[in-house]
Amino acid sequence: MNKKYLWFTLVTLTLLSPFAGTASLDFNTIFEANSLSQRIFLELRLPRILLAFVVGGTLGLAGLLFQTLFRNSLMTPFTLGVSGGAVLGAGISIKLGLTLIFGLSAVSFFGFLGAFSTVILLIVLSRYLKKAEQESLLLLGIALSFFYTSALMVIFYLSSFTETATIMRFTMGSLSVVGYENLITISIFSALLLTLLYLKRFELQLLSISDEQAALKGVNTKKTTYLFLGVSSLAIGVLVSLTGPIGFIGLIIPHMVRKIYQKPVSTLIFPVFFMGGFFLLACDTLTRFLSTGSEVPIGVVTALIGGPFFIYLIIAKQKS
Amino acid sequence: MRVSNLFLAYDKTTILKNINFDIKKHLCILGSNGSGKSTLAKALCGLLPYEGSIQIDNYELSSIPAVQRAKKIAYIPSKMESFEQFTTVEEFVLLGRYPYKASFKNYGKNDKDIVREILVELSIFSIASFRLHELSSGQQQLVLIAQALAQKSNILIFDEPTSNLDPKNTALFVQELKKLRTSFITILITHDIQLAAYFNDPVLFIQDKKASLYENNFFKTEQLSKAYGVNFKENHGFFELDYE
Repeated sequence: MNKKYLWFTLVTLTLLSPFAGTASLDFNTIFEANSLSQRIFLELRLPRILLAFVVGGTLGLAGLLFQTLFRNSLMTPFTLGVSGGAVLGAGISIKLGLTLIFGLSAVSFFGFLGAFSTVILLIVLSRYLKKAEQESLLLLGIALSFFYTSALMVIFYLSSFTETATIMRFTMGSLSVVGYENLITISIFSALLLTLLYLKRFELQLLSISDEQAALKGVNTKKTTYLFLGVSSLAIGVLVSLTGPIGFIGLIIPHMVRKIYQKPVSTLIFPVFFMGGFFLLACDTLTRFLSTGSEVPIGVVTALIGGPFFIYLIIAKQKS
Repeated sequence: MRVSNLFLAYDKTTILKNINFDIKKHLCILGSNGSGKSTLAKALCGLLPYEGSIQIDNYELSSIPAVQRAKKIAYIPSKMESFEQFTTVEEFVLLGRYPYKASFKNYGKNDKDIVREILVELSIFSIASFRLHELSSGQQQLVLIAQALAQKSNILIFDEPTSNLDPKNTALFVQELKKLRTSFITILITHDIQLAAYFNDPVLFIQDKKASLYENNFFKTEQLSKAYGVNFKENHGFFELDYE
């Protein structure tokens, strides 16, 4: 795949993005103060574009981090059930009708709790696995995902029609947004993850070989790994609680960037962030072009692309 | 390096007990499969908690910060493992400079110069831009050594270095090891009795959770047979397993 063409396509789609959607945008009146076009652009389209970009970038980074730490290209927050934990947490808080906890949005707080406790659970459970049985960790993640889905079903069963509709819509993942509040929240945690990964990129590179090799070179492996997992589950938890689960970005993007750049992880932090951002934005733009009346949820679209890709990865792994 | 009254345990199971030895220049660690050789090697690198004492330059190993420890000891595993198959040889060897790198900063020009010198020294400069998955086992072994040398430590610990090498690569490795022995303290963990006998260093033989130190009388058929519990015979200066 040619690097330049890919970036060119993605950037072109980005420039077209503001004009995609059910309400049409008149280019001539965008710059007129308080015109309808300007309001649609500033309050609906622009925040949505920025949100898609930040969310895509963060999902890509989290995927890169998980794949590198677990040294397996199938390991992502989504496949390990971390996103599922966040969804369940958010679902519980919607059912309980909570709004604020410690001054934080309850959905975000519960989303974070769900993601974080899944990470802790995976760490504890993985102690019982032998090194060679690393793939079992993936099975644990799948088992957790099933468990979370069933728990969510129980919540559906106990909920009223409107609650069920809210949770249902939430589980499909959506980038629909009005205004900038969610964008700012997600951006803060996204920036935190991006900064951490960039500052600790060489530690991450050593951890990609093995914990032992990293320790032999002087990395405090336990502290570093827990810091990585803590900050990423915070970002994933908050993100999922606001947009719902958007799967497979964390799986596809790091793999694609690795293939295109053929460089070690320490140099891939920003390419993965930007590629993830542009990719999700492109997916979102396409859905908005294609939709008539009601919108196809973005989580459905990424899963439709990601499912076959996941199968391809498993087969490619077998070959090597 | 001085080890005294060393006890090692894993999950409350004692692996090794009451180990004592003193390394002046070189040491060879022998023992049967699963006897705890690799565990001892990991402990000597500071990767495992231990009871007793491991002293390096009169400092207790467990009290040396990880980064300082990496400047004193380097470990060469028997096999290269890496998830990042696109890493080049040069980038991989550069990781050996991690203990000298300022936090958050990139590797400097000095680090890159040192890496190039080492690659030239080991005659693998020509493969500097090769990716790890393109290397042969022999080249991988040399690249691992290069990374360890980049740490500029005094002590090199080799964990079964020849177990994945064919005779030709073994010979090349031994040539390299001979050169390294003149300027480094080496600890060689191996099953290769021929190789161990060739260097004839003091031997630490590990069996039944205990270690016995042989200063110079290990490589005799009776002693070998006794230690391993199988019969050895000598044939023109080579030790052979007696299959009969």
